[in-house]
Amino acid sequence: MSDLALSTARVEVKRARSAIGSLRIVQTACILVIALVIVSPLLMLFVASLKDDRFQILADMGSFRAFWVSNPTLSNFAEVGNFSGQLAFGRYLMNSLIILASTVGFGLIVNSMAGFVLAWGSLRGRALILSLVIALYVIPQESIIMPLVIMVSRAGMTDTFTVQIVPWVASPLYIFLFYQFFAQLPKELFEAAEIDGASVFRIYRSIFLPLSLPALATVSILMGIEAWNQYLWPILVTQTDYARPIAVAIATFFGQDSIYWDRAMAASVLMMIPILALYLAFQRWFVSSFVGSAVKG
Amino acid sequence: MTLQQSALPTTMAAARPASRRDKSRLYQEMSMLAPAVILLTIFLIVPFLLSFWTAMTNQPLVPRPTPVRFVGFNNFLRILRDDLFWTSLWNVSRFTFWILPVQCGLAFATALLLHQKLPFRNFFRGLFFLPAITSMVVVCVIWGTLFQYPTGPLNQVIGFVSGGSIRPIDWLGDPDWAMFSIVLLSAWQAYGFQMIVYLAGLQGIPDELYDAARIDGANALQRFWHVTMPGLRPTHVFVLVITTIQAFKLYTQVAILTQGGPKSSTETVVHYMVRSGFEEQKLGHASAVSVILFLIVLVIALLQRQLLRRYDV
Repeated sequence: MSDLALSTARVEVKRARSAIGSLRIVQTACILVIALVIVSPLLMLFVASLKDDRFQILADMGSFRAFWVSNPTLSNFAEVGNFSGQLAFGRYLMNSLIILASTVGFGLIVNSMAGFVLAWGSLRGRALILSLVIALYVIPQESIIMPLVIMVSRAGMTDTFTVQIVPWVASPLYIFLFYQFFAQLPKELFEAAEIDGASVFRIYRSIFLPLSLPALATVSILMGIEAWNQYLWPILVTQTDYARPIAVAIATFFGQDSIYWDRAMAASVLMMIPILALYLAFQRWFVSSFVGSAVKG
Repeated sequence: MTLQQSALPTTMAAARPASRRDKSRLYQEMSMLAPAVILLTIFLIVPFLLSFWTAMTNQPLVPRPTPVRFVGFNNFLRILRDDLFWTSLWNVSRFTFWILPVQCGLAFATALLLHQKLPFRNFFRGLFFLPAITSMVVVCVIWGTLFQYPTGPLNQVIGFVSGGSIRPIDWLGDPDWAMFSIVLLSAWQAYGFQMIVYLAGLQGIPDELYDAARIDGANALQRFWHVTMPGLRPTHVFVLVITTIQAFKLYTQVAILTQGGPKSSTETVVHYMVRSGFEEQKLGHASAVSVILFLIVLVIALLQRQLLRRYDV
């Protein structure tokens, strides 16, 4: 390449660089604007939950004081964190945690076992079962909820933890996600273990399951969010405090005429913490694996 | 006797003659599959089939001494003659019409931005997903506050930006605004999911295609139009279909913030169903609505299959 060509090329590169530079500034500015829209409502919630005066909270809303608290206090949390009485959000939170942990725990076992057998089993008709599972995925929860309420109330299961856990443990979506994940693991894994005389369950338990951390993380987060945010089902099947989840409790509290904003905000923050922890713990695996399955699924 | 080979991944054992070991293996497989099959049967298949039956009866919520009667398609006919049902269907259609551009457009734009090599992009990706893990109930508490009339934060911001020329909006109390307000908070909450799906779609487009386009002299806009957009076709279909299905199931936000009001302007199909089932105690009627809802979702899902097949993916 001649010197002249080289120097023109350099100028071009420089020009392109400065164009990219200004483009980058515009892009970063857009991102920051979006970040403001996404984050400011959440920030307002956290800040307000640390304020003691419920009238002040609303008064502050119109200004930058919505994002600032001069003397933060945890008194709202102390007020709503009870385990009995009117503001028993501590109890509701515990209820929700029990429901979350059981649903996700049982769900991981049941759905991953089924997904494994569908991927590697030798059962006749597993192709049929698989296509049935995929077909069942189309049925929305909302369209089976009416008969389901009758079924569980006839069975005397209303107002229990069981009724909020067991119906949602097995799920076509998660069986399919596990199936998809297991099926793409190499055949040699299965065969080598089989030649060594390991049983199917053993192969699942000691070889495939330890390899499926991304799938377990994805399903945990998706199931966790789903179980945590259930609203329609628990309002239909819980009448008393005994097994009432925090989502229903907050909605009920929020629906009252005179709203104690400070308490509503504190209860909301309480509700966000566990799911935030779950998300932060599993996020690393979640994004990469959810992604692949979502588009294909 | 040999076990049948299938199109699924097979193992060596499948080809070997059945022995005692194979039999015990079969039992083991069946017992591993059993919990899922039993649970899905009891809690999904049975209630699903029951909903078709209940929809054709006059089943009340609380058992009555008079026997439940078979009423054929009467429930469906009554629903189709009910103006409130058509209003709710119209409302979710309006909701869909707004939520698709607002939520998917924002998600797509953000994904395009975050796909560049910007500083802290992983941080922003995590940040933008936060509303998606926030419970809808909490979202309602937050936005219920923002929407306060007449001095809520949103009205203050609008007043400040417009210099007071725009009068405060009664976001949730004005029939003309209520559904749009629901759209705003729903888009804010759910767009993180779509953003992640779009990011995955963008990552799935091979770099070679962009390089080839560049060598052919395509500018950024042309590369976007002829490489990015065709590459994202299955992603677009997926996102639009999922968002539409979710839109038709709209319930929680409306139940908490507006109860279908004002003047039925935010009545939705699921809210209508729950009300007829549990407030009016007409379970047969409600089941018929749930069957209609299923049919709508089924049609959308089949449409997705057709579209994906056409795009050959």
